Amino acid sequence: MKTGLYLSISPLLVVALGGALLMLAEAFSHHREEHESRSAGPSSELALGTAITLFTGAIFAAAVWFVGPEKLDGSQDLAPWLIIDRFTLFFAFTICVGGGLASLLAGGYLPEHRIDRGEFYPLLTFSSVGAIILAAAGDVLTLFLGLEIMSLGVYALTGFRRGSARSTEASMKYFLLGSFAAALLLYGAALIYGATGHTDLAGIRAALVAGNLNYGLVLIAVTLMIVGLAFKISAVPFHMWTPDAYEGAPTPATSFMAVVVKSAAFATMLRVLLVAFGQPELSSWGAGWPPIIATLAVLTMTVANLIAGRQESVKRMLAYSSIAHAGYILVGVTTTMRLHEDGQASVMFYLLAYTVSTIGAFGALILCGSRGAEAVSYEDLSGLGKRHPAVALVFSLFLLSLAGVPPTAGFFGKLYIVKGAIGAGLYPLSVILLLNSVLGAYYYLRVLVFMYMREPAPGAPFARPMKSGYVTSALVLAAVAVVALGLFPTTSLEVAVRAALAP
Amino acid sequence: MATYVPLLLLFLVGAVITGALFTLSSILGPKNPTPEKMMPYECGSESTGGRFVKPSVKFYLTAILFVVFDIEVVLMYPWAIQFRTLGWGGMATMGSFVSLLVVALIYVWKKGALEWET
Amino acid sequence: MTSIPLEYYLIVAAALFLVGTVGFLLRRNLLVLLMSIELMLNSVNLTLVAYNRVHTESHAGQIFTFFVIAIAAAEAAVGLAIVLAFFRVRKTVRSDEADLLRN
Repeated sequence: MKTGLYLSISPLLVVALGGALLMLAEAFSHHREEHESRSAGPSSELALGTAITLFTGAIFAAAVWFVGPEKLDGSQDLAPWLIIDRFTLFFAFTICVGGGLASLLAGGYLPEHRIDRGEFYPLLTFSSVGAIILAAAGDVLTLFLGLEIMSLGVYALTGFRRGSARSTEASMKYFLLGSFAAALLLYGAALIYGATGHTDLAGIRAALVAGNLNYGLVLIAVTLMIVGLAFKISAVPFHMWTPDAYEGAPTPATSFMAVVVKSAAFATMLRVLLVAFGQPELSSWGAGWPPIIATLAVLTMTVANLIAGRQESVKRMLAYSSIAHAGYILVGVTTTMRLHEDGQASVMFYLLAYTVSTIGAFGALILCGSRGAEAVSYEDLSGLGKRHPAVALVFSLFLLSLAGVPPTAGFFGKLYIVKGAIGAGLYPLSVILLLNSVLGAYYYLRVLVFMYMREPAPGAPFARPMKSGYVTSALVLAAVAVVALGLFPTTSLEVAVRAALAP
Repeated sequence: MATYVPLLLLFLVGAVITGALFTLSSILGPKNPTPEKMMPYECGSESTGGRFVKPSVKFYLTAILFVVFDIEVVLMYPWAIQFRTLGWGGMATMGSFVSLLVVALIYVWKKGALEWET
Repeated sequence: MTSIPLEYYLIVAAALFLVGTVGFLLRRNLLVLLMSIELMLNSVNLTLVAYNRVHTESHAGQIFTFFVIAIAAAEAAVGLAIVLAFFRVRKTVRSDEADLLRN
């Protein structure tokens, strides 16, 4: 038995086996969705089980990190299909934390809104498995496999409210555009295989360095792959599905999509760009992917922020804000061309900060509403600061973190990305990023204005906060993480620097 | 190109023979239509309903499950061909794959997706 | 016996991919959109198998195809389920009638 091998992939194994067990537990439980009483649904046990599974996965990822994957004998046995390095472990940790928090949110949300069916939890767990595979993939085969395992679960989660026209429509749009993007990415992968004869990223790089290839083919392949990945991270102009899917999906599924799918997609984007197309001829300002990524970054930030300011629905505003954050992270991806480790570290730190802040913001939005009185528009939130000060306080904390106000996690995320961009000499990009943060602050602060300075119009319906131990505990965990990352940012940044991929 | 000529000839001969048989039988055969003969044939019993029947949604669910489980067999072919080379390691890997499929089957079963009459 | 050149397969695959892409972008029937996506995946399969003829050192292309076939089946299952859910609620399978979620 190769203990080292199993230990090194233990985060993945824990989550996958946990998912299978949850599926069986769900099948053998005798709950039916028609039950009207809240405690009758399967969520009560399954949400806790899912959260425990995913947090255990996170703990295993951290444990393997401390032991050091390079010390485990056999940890490279699965290379190049699954590469277990600190980069993978960092993303596995982020994914598990995001997924665990999302499942806690679901534990409160699903019973409250009478869609308490147990499939939610196995789907969420298997999607996380796909996300971890995607983050670990060192071969386009496992990349595609992980991408599809992750996406298929999320498509189903988006359409989880089967009777709702909006939910099914959201899931249909997401499915069609998502699989279209996957097909483009796959065709790119097939062409790069044709040009280089390799499907593993390191082999592709070696063949590109050796030269004597059909460069036209390589160019088409790289473009197709970047477009496919840009769909998944919802970069403008490939973002059309994002607001609709985020708005129509049940809110816990939205938060899962916003953090886990995005983290995994960025992980694989970094790995593809830096490992497969990392040689200087393809990753300099004059040639290769950096100009493409920089253009995407500028477009994504600016367009998303401009549209987000015009939204009336807070959920849709948060959807556009998540697109804008993808733009900030793309700036970090661009800086990796000159600052290899620091660029990656800024992306990873930002993703961790973004994960806890976004889960928190969506969770606070869930907590603000209850059945029949959901918090949707800004108006619904007016006067919340007086009626329910605690809920309004945590909501404000997460929004300030997303806006990048010190001393929250989001501030240091932006700080490191801007620092990296300046260090790499990308001054225009950093100026655009800062201008966009100011633009973004407008719509985040607008929520605060409504919560603390407006009174609901007389007779107008307002949101009544729900009560749920699950949602509350998720919010407490996320809030602690946001504050901790804000108070001790250097520790996590050092961790992220150590996780960077070797050049 | 010359290699395809026999194939083309075969198609041609086939088309001619089939066409000729149909034409000849319709010209030469005796015709004596009665109302009973013109009725759609349904195992000898009286036919019911129209020509177009909307298939039940149950077929759809069964078909989907069939497709998913059926296609997974595709991954077993490479293993079956390399069965001896892969040895017990391959057996264990395929075993874990099949046991995951069994978990899925149990799930589908317990969820009642295989019940025809519900 | 002369074998068919590699380029022929690649051109057919590229044409199929193009047909799938154009079909996806222009058609409005959800089932046709699903078929277009399947067509694109199948053209990728053809490309992979064809390239496997020149890269004979490993059978990466052939193996990749097996996985793509399996995933395409799973994708079709999920896609049909979503289209069915959509049809049950909205009584239509046209994508241009999916217009509830707008700015």
